[in-house]
Amino acid sequence: MHIRSAMLLAVALSFPGAAVAQMSRAALVKQSDIIFIGTVTQVGAVAVPEVPPSERTVVVRVDQVIEKPAPVALTAGDSVTVEAARAGSLKAGIQATFYTTGWIFGRGVAVREVGHEPGQSPVVAADAREAVARARALVNDADLKAHIQRAAMVVAGRVAQVRPAELAAAPTRPRRITEHDPDWQEAIIQVEDGIKGAQAGEQVVVRFPGSSDVAWVGTPKFAVGEEGTFLLHKDSTTGSPLTMIAGRSVPAYTALHKVDVLSKQDATRVRALIKKP
Amino acid sequence: MGARMIAVGVALCVACQEPERQMPPAKLAGGRVVDLIPLSLSGESWQDAEPFLALYASNPKLMAASAFTPNPGGSASATAPIFVSDDGGDSWTLRNTLPSQSMTADITHAVGGNPPMLYAGILKVPDFPLNELKANDFLSPATMTLQGFRVDIDQPFVRTSAVGNADRVYVGLNDFDAPDGRTATVDVSLDGGTTYASRRIETRNTAGQNGPSIRPAVAQDHTIYVAYFGWRSNAGADVTSDVVVVRDDSGAMGATPFRDLVDPSDHLPGRLVATGVTIPWSNAPTLGQERIGSTLAIAVDALHSDNVYLAWADRVGTGDIYTVHVRRSSDRGATWSSDLRTLTNATDASLAVSTNGTAGLLYQQVTGSASTSRWVTRLEQSRDGFATHQDVVLATVPATTPAFQFLPYIGDYNCLLTRGNQFLGIFSANNTPDSANFPQGVVYQRRVDFPTHRLLDGSGAPVAVSIDPFFFSVPVLP
Repeated sequence: MHIRSAMLLAVALSFPGAAVAQMSRAALVKQSDIIFIGTVTQVGAVAVPEVPPSERTVVVRVDQVIEKPAPVALTAGDSVTVEAARAGSLKAGIQATFYTTGWIFGRGVAVREVGHEPGQSPVVAADAREAVARARALVNDADLKAHIQRAAMVVAGRVAQVRPAELAAAPTRPRRITEHDPDWQEAIIQVEDGIKGAQAGEQVVVRFPGSSDVAWVGTPKFAVGEEGTFLLHKDSTTGSPLTMIAGRSVPAYTALHKVDVLSKQDATRVRALIKKP
Repeated sequence: MGARMIAVGVALCVACQEPERQMPPAKLAGGRVVDLIPLSLSGESWQDAEPFLALYASNPKLMAASAFTPNPGGSASATAPIFVSDDGGDSWTLRNTLPSQSMTADITHAVGGNPPMLYAGILKVPDFPLNELKANDFLSPATMTLQGFRVDIDQPFVRTSAVGNADRVYVGLNDFDAPDGRTATVDVSLDGGTTYASRRIETRNTAGQNGPSIRPAVAQDHTIYVAYFGWRSNAGADVTSDVVVVRDDSGAMGATPFRDLVDPSDHLPGRLVATGVTIPWSNAPTLGQERIGSTLAIAVDALHSDNVYLAWADRVGTGDIYTVHVRRSSDRGATWSSDLRTLTNATDASLAVSTNGTAGLLYQQVTGSASTSRWVTRLEQSRDGFATHQDVVLATVPATTPAFQFLPYIGDYNCLLTRGNQFLGIFSANNTPDSANFPQGVVYQRRVDFPTHRLLDGSGAPVAVSIDPFFFSVPVLP
């Protein structure tokens, strides 16, 4: 398996233009949300009437789906319309791993090519799947490392208290009533493991939107007793960067990205990424 | 509530007005309901709330629609989708053409001239600034072009009219940066969205701001009505508000537009259709898992601009949670009827007036209680100011499932339009494939199994019930 993987990695990646010729597989994966092994069946054609045919569109028969969002209905045997990154780059009959993003969703799926990777012929599905999974792990680690580097503080701990945030209103900006009001709350986190910028035993205050409004869907919410590893950023969102705890004025933090709230077990991974050059 | 029902057309059901009615509603000839989620997104289980619809007068096959539907690519996607149809609403595709991260936080849209232009007003993700957008061809996969941009805006509501080669665009919005707390505003563009001027329409003192709903309606003679809530005071969660209508008789071209309708009580622009109503402002599940507080709609007879209909919701205080009122003016807003319709525990009222003068009222109402409660979506039509009306049930679905993922649950608004001899609209509802839930019938594009009432993904595995947008068309009363 290792030899196969090494061979696969050694294969020259086929990219649509010189500007992207140096892209790594990880870079392809990072830009893609639908990845599949497929065989080009028609050039200058489309698989569904919703997409206008052009010299850049090809029809690809899906041989194996490697990654796709859960809502997308895509299985082996489906025909997908692919808009090639460059006209003429995809010839009928070639089999490749296609890195793509969703374009038009109707009776069928149309995607835009980010890149494609011709492997052995036929492509060994298990190898491609493993290679993509490894690339995805690299991408996820790189994203998380970037988040860690941007964070002012990284702690593992437990939410000891949740309270409404009392924000100092700017004198020229009265509080507005809107359905998108974030309804800022404060979670007081008891630090059990100070991974970056904090020490065990400290308490830190994290602001989060308590609102159920659509504008804040997907933003982490906190509950008393919740444990986790938290990537905390100095509050530059509410306009009120300080808060009070035990009678002291202290900086307030936020954790508004889904990556900012990880499981407690992820502390080990976070530490490893911090040490990783 | 004592309105006499009329039977119209073959097989037309006389649907009872009472929410607790036991007789199953019957099917209206020519009615059509279509779930917008396409086959290739059969695994979708998102809460596709707050739908909106745009129609092209020049080509009845073309339509655009939106909802709080995310880019299937995920939360990191740089664009958000709209739905488009090129076959009159029988089928829909999803295209990622909005410059907003995965989804919008508000969106409405309206059409322009040829080629099929589309104007949209969105609150962009992240940070939620207003983006006023344009697509020169809404069928194009290209990202829509940004024309106007600013922060501290709520509920952009887009309407258009065509004058020669230049589209006029009217975006009702709540502008928190407006002076003196008079936040009700219409962004007016007379040049196809190239430039916008923000026109303040509130002339009275407010409780610090107006309500979020600012709704324009445009007639063919370029009369423009705008309805808004004049918030006067608030105590706790209850806002005391006036319901106000302003009018401009010449397309809002002047420097001080929307001053052609004056209230006799204070001689200020803006007719006070109702004063001192109680708006229950609740940003939590309050009515069938839905929040309440901003239901407002206005429609003008496009060919006879004297005739205008208005709907809003408030709390009457007789045990209701939220009550929709419908009124009419036949003299350009100078005088208004009393309630033509009073609908308890209803929301998402939308109005349209067809070319033959028939008024359409779309609304969604909670019937029953607790675990047996249902969201019932109805279209009422009337030729006589709702002295009589035809009542069509488009959907009757459980109100307690699925559990809300966010608010709004089904929408702070939906949409009703008219073209030719059809009312066309869109609403969001529980998507269980059960024919009993859709008395007019229903067509799913996504994969379903009607006998078992199950949604299926691409591989045939069950998918959780969720909220989907549904397009509908119903023949206008002859």
